[in-house]
Amino acid sequence: MATLTPTPDIKIACTNVNKTFIQKGKQEVPVLDDVSLAVRENEFLVILGPGQCGKSTLLRIIAGLETPTTGTVTLSGADGVAHGVEGPGSDRGLVFQGYMLFPWKTVLGNVEMGPKLRGLPGKECREIAKRYIELVGLTGFEDHYPHQLSGGMKQRVGIARVYANSPQVMLLDEPFGQLDAQTRIFMEQETARIWQAEQRTVIFVTNNIDEALYLGDRIVCMEGKLPGRVQTVKDVTLPRPREFTDMEFLRLRQEIIDASQLTL
Amino acid sequence: MSSNIANETTCAFRDRQPWTVGRVLTNRYFLYTVSFCCFFLGWDYLARTLGAEGSSSLARPTEVIVALQDLWDNELAEYKLLGHIWASTQRVLIGFCIAAVLAVPLGLIMALNRYVNAIVKPLFDLLKPMPPISWISISILWFGIDETSKVFIIVIGTFVPCLLNAYNGVRLVDPELYDVIRMLGGNRRDEILHVCFPASFPAIFAGLQISLSSAWTCVLAAELVSARSGLGYIIVQGMNLSDPAMVMGGMAVIAVVAWCTTLLVTGLERYLCPWKRKIAGL
Repeated sequence: MATLTPTPDIKIACTNVNKTFIQKGKQEVPVLDDVSLAVRENEFLVILGPGQCGKSTLLRIIAGLETPTTGTVTLSGADGVAHGVEGPGSDRGLVFQGYMLFPWKTVLGNVEMGPKLRGLPGKECREIAKRYIELVGLTGFEDHYPHQLSGGMKQRVGIARVYANSPQVMLLDEPFGQLDAQTRIFMEQETARIWQAEQRTVIFVTNNIDEALYLGDRIVCMEGKLPGRVQTVKDVTLPRPREFTDMEFLRLRQEIIDASQLTL
Repeated sequence: MSSNIANETTCAFRDRQPWTVGRVLTNRYFLYTVSFCCFFLGWDYLARTLGAEGSSSLARPTEVIVALQDLWDNELAEYKLLGHIWASTQRVLIGFCIAAVLAVPLGLIMALNRYVNAIVKPLFDLLKPMPPISWISISILWFGIDETSKVFIIVIGTFVPCLLNAYNGVRLVDPELYDVIRMLGGNRRDEILHVCFPASFPAIFAGLQISLSSAWTCVLAAELVSARSGLGYIIVQGMNLSDPAMVMGGMAVIAVVAWCTTLLVTGLERYLCPWKRKIAGL
């Protein structure tokens, strides 16, 4: 297992992260067991694993919404100095599986929320929001409310909202899990396009092998059971834009399937 | 017209079709009219049959209209009909506003702060099941038979639904929305301002609607017990005079006025919750 120690080009790193949930006061459920990973600046890292393998918990720990039982998450700031992460903050942005848009705000209102919370003047917020709404291809829908949008469009808003806050690391938690297969492929293509247009450090959690291979520079495969452990780390050097039917793509796909030892 | 919203085309367009007997018979507004006609004809028939047998406890619709016309033109205990309507409406609005101003913030604070909740909730739970009308006697002892005692009853009766709905509105907010605010760099204040308040708006308005109908129940009860004005007073006078037309006229006016005040709250809600208006397709 490749354990990367924080070096200057490492943007965010987890070191020996353990997480144990206490259920019903007594029973301890270990969810993550000694997970270490490091993400380079502007790298698209995918955490791949089946359901119930602790990958979402890992992402929530990186986001700061959960605290690890032991271990640390370090983020190197704009000055290049790594510091520990405590609690959620606008230096990381999270795209939620369930979209989590504010139903009382329009598309524009949702996207400009981050800049507004950071205290930027209204005009600047609007300009930033409009720019990212255009980036995700929703120009013309600024005044729509979330319930008027389809699932794919809602998640575009979710992505634009995170981009608008210019976080140092973008975290995506199974963002397309609720979409139908065709929309999902379309959104994956869009994500690749958006990411190539404005490169960011990304940690993308998914349970879909094709999605992982299509998007990731590197794939961290988790074991298929609790407690979650890192099984293998794969570099994907396929040129972009990728093809779902490329021979190398399919070979890597089979490799990942063979490596995952799922049992009932 | 058809508009393409988010890949899903919504068509608010219907072809003009020729009028046929079947379409007229199934037309919504036609059926409304039928429903009303049947109700009034049935009422009139029943009143006439009972009246022919010598018992006149049911007034005919026309008699009710005449009675209302009479109240409109002539004074009953110093007030004409409009004066009585205003007397009741005033009590309802004053009591309702006092309760809303006190109960909604208290409900929100209870939901947001567990210490306040721990102090207020047990007392509230103790007083909650007490029917507001049971306070009438004590309020007359405390405040006399003037306006204060009636407003007091209304405040008591409207306080509970206002508070409960504000409280539940905040309690039922999806906790992940707080995560969103925190991930975007917001603090506790932002959570309350940008999530708690807007998310609980629809519930607060549902509470206000329930409160308003409760307020009308309370004002009626209070006026039936002791009053020199108001719609409840008209009903009591009708009863004392054995004039069913007057009683039923009073009832009808209450229904109309209460409905109008409900429209007021609905309008306010539509203005303040534009996202909800679009959901309901209004």
